[in-house]
Amino acid sequence: MPDPAMLLDVAGLHATIDSKEILKGVDMRIPHGEIHALMGPNGSGKSTLAYALTGHPKYQITAGSATLKGTDLLPLTADLRAQLGVFLSFQHPTAIPGVTMVNFLRAAMRSQGKELSAREFLTRLTYEMAELKMDESFRSRYINDGFSGGEKKRAEILQMALLQPQLAILDEPDSGLDVDALRIVADGVRRAVEGSAGKMGVLLITHYNRILEYLRPDTVHIFSAGRVVASGGPSLAKEIEAMGYEGLLGEVAPVSASA
Amino acid sequence: MTQEAVVSGIDSGVVATRAGASPTWLASRRRAAWEAFSTLPWPSSLRDEDWRRTDIAKLDPLRFDPDAGVSTELDSVIAATHDDIAAVAPDAAVIVCDHTGRVQLHNCDALTAQGVIVCSLSEAATRHRELVEQAFDTLPAGQQPLTALWNSLWRDGCFVYVPPSVAANQPVWVIHAAADDRTATFPATCCVLDANASLTLVELHVSPATAQAELLSDTVSHVVLNRNARLDYCVLQDLGQGVWHMATHRVSLEADAHLHFFGATLGSKLQKAYWEALLNGNGAEAHLAGIALAGDRQHLDHQSLQAHKGTDTTSRLLLKTAVRDHARSVYDGLIDVGRTAQRTDAYVQNRNLILSPDAKADSIPRLEIRAHDVRCGHGAAAGPVDDEQRFYLMARGIPAEIADRIIVRGFFEDALGQAPCPEFAALLGPLLDRRLDRILHIGRQES
Repeated sequence: MPDPAMLLDVAGLHATIDSKEILKGVDMRIPHGEIHALMGPNGSGKSTLAYALTGHPKYQITAGSATLKGTDLLPLTADLRAQLGVFLSFQHPTAIPGVTMVNFLRAAMRSQGKELSAREFLTRLTYEMAELKMDESFRSRYINDGFSGGEKKRAEILQMALLQPQLAILDEPDSGLDVDALRIVADGVRRAVEGSAGKMGVLLITHYNRILEYLRPDTVHIFSAGRVVASGGPSLAKEIEAMGYEGLLGEVAPVSASA
Repeated sequence: MTQEAVVSGIDSGVVATRAGASPTWLASRRRAAWEAFSTLPWPSSLRDEDWRRTDIAKLDPLRFDPDAGVSTELDSVIAATHDDIAAVAPDAAVIVCDHTGRVQLHNCDALTAQGVIVCSLSEAATRHRELVEQAFDTLPAGQQPLTALWNSLWRDGCFVYVPPSVAANQPVWVIHAAADDRTATFPATCCVLDANASLTLVELHVSPATAQAELLSDTVSHVVLNRNARLDYCVLQDLGQGVWHMATHRVSLEADAHLHFFGATLGSKLQKAYWEALLNGNGAEAHLAGIALAGDRQHLDHQSLQAHKGTDTTSRLLLKTAVRDHARSVYDGLIDVGRTAQRTDAYVQNRNLILSPDAKADSIPRLEIRAHDVRCGHGAAAGPVDDEQRFYLMARGIPAEIADRIIVRGFFEDALGQAPCPEFAALLGPLLDRRLDRILHIGRQES
């Protein structure tokens, strides 16, 4: 039974794309206010889990459940899940030419019932952009159009900061960032968690220990072949860095993980 | 017993009446055009390359009333359009023309003080015959049925002449309004810019939005840009859903003349519009851009011509269309480079966004090049809304149909950015949003 006290409760989740099974029984529970890291080899299905939880229409859920504070996410379209408070920071955010960031952000906040007056909105936007060290020109640029890799990652964190989700699924927010940019992004995530008064949870997909040193996850999950095969404290991430997935997965007997 | 209302149609008697009220040169032109119309075969989708994808076999122009009178519907569409202009361009000179042949000039004094001639086309045909003939001569009166019909029957319209080296200090907005079932309207725009002159001209074709009234709108715009003249020219077609709209907008450019044209097509049941730039003089430049949006069973056909005759001429055309429901867009664009047109630089591009499975867009950009030293190209594309773009917006809480509206608006943006008159863009923006809401079935509460 899903636990309504739990922010995210995923049990036995199976998902396919083009009738190929990618997720093969994912179990994961994230309590309010916790940061969980999800690590695993390329192709193990981490991004698929992110898409499956946020409602990408390309993925079919074939078994299992996923609830946010007891509400079943699976029958909902992506927009309704976002309105409930699920946020996805895309690994490769798509460009939408002709649509300015500022118009997009206002439309998103309006859709989530978080509309501010034009003046309040601009104040918020200016503040968050300054925190993320983003140039003012971002406002009038088209969504992700011609953005550098680092600009895209910051723009994703900016959206999270403005939308204040319940659950932020961050798909490799650190890939391709230099040390300074990484710290800015990590600070942005931490600010959002702290600003939510301990309510926002984070599922952080990453390959690197460095962002975990900034964000200090409560739990680290290891993903392999479409499911969570091990869960543990932050030390697990260090072991992966030292031994690699092969070394680690060879040693640790697969477990059905739960927090 | 009730008696059916008798509506007069188009026949030689109407042409005779029109000719009788015209100066001699125009009267013979009307009669010759009617003669041509009577002998030319009606456009056939089987026989005529121009009409292969646009079938007007069911359109019988002769059953429409060329002498339709004034109505409250007509006056209210005029008043509403006039208000729309006043909201975005309060200082503009406005010429209101309608299907009855009325022509009203508003706020033209400053232009007149500069020596600009603004008057009805019938007045110009008498008092400024050479100028009108110069413009009319750029388009043969009897070459194809719809222009022949227009040449025989136009009631009145607007005429603008800007003298040499005068930069018109006001934009000129022209309203061509029509209304009522079975009305035939023949909007006429005639504009001549003398050497080194410049002007902004906006042309709005409007009728009540209803699909109940079936109208025939057959329009010709003759525009002549003499040496080094500059024209910013915007055209809006926002006719009601029962209108057959047949349009020719032809601009002739002499040496070093510049045209910036922007067309927005939103209305009508079926449209065939020719957007034509004739680059006759050396160094002439024509930039054409446009957008078209169609839903329901609308059929919008645009046929563009970039005809290069002078040397060192430049032309660009970008048309973006979005279609939904059972709507269809047809685009056929020709870059025609004559033997003498060395160093032509020309590009034509058409992009289509297909918003639902039953909507369709055909795109045929073509090049015909007879000079050897040229740079020409074309591009065409059609496709649905990108799933990843839609998901990206939905993942932020934006419902699918609002996401689509945002994407379509973004799709139009680069073309809209080329509209040479910011006031026109200001008028078009909200209109486009409302039309998108209707076509995408978005309720008011969500917008």
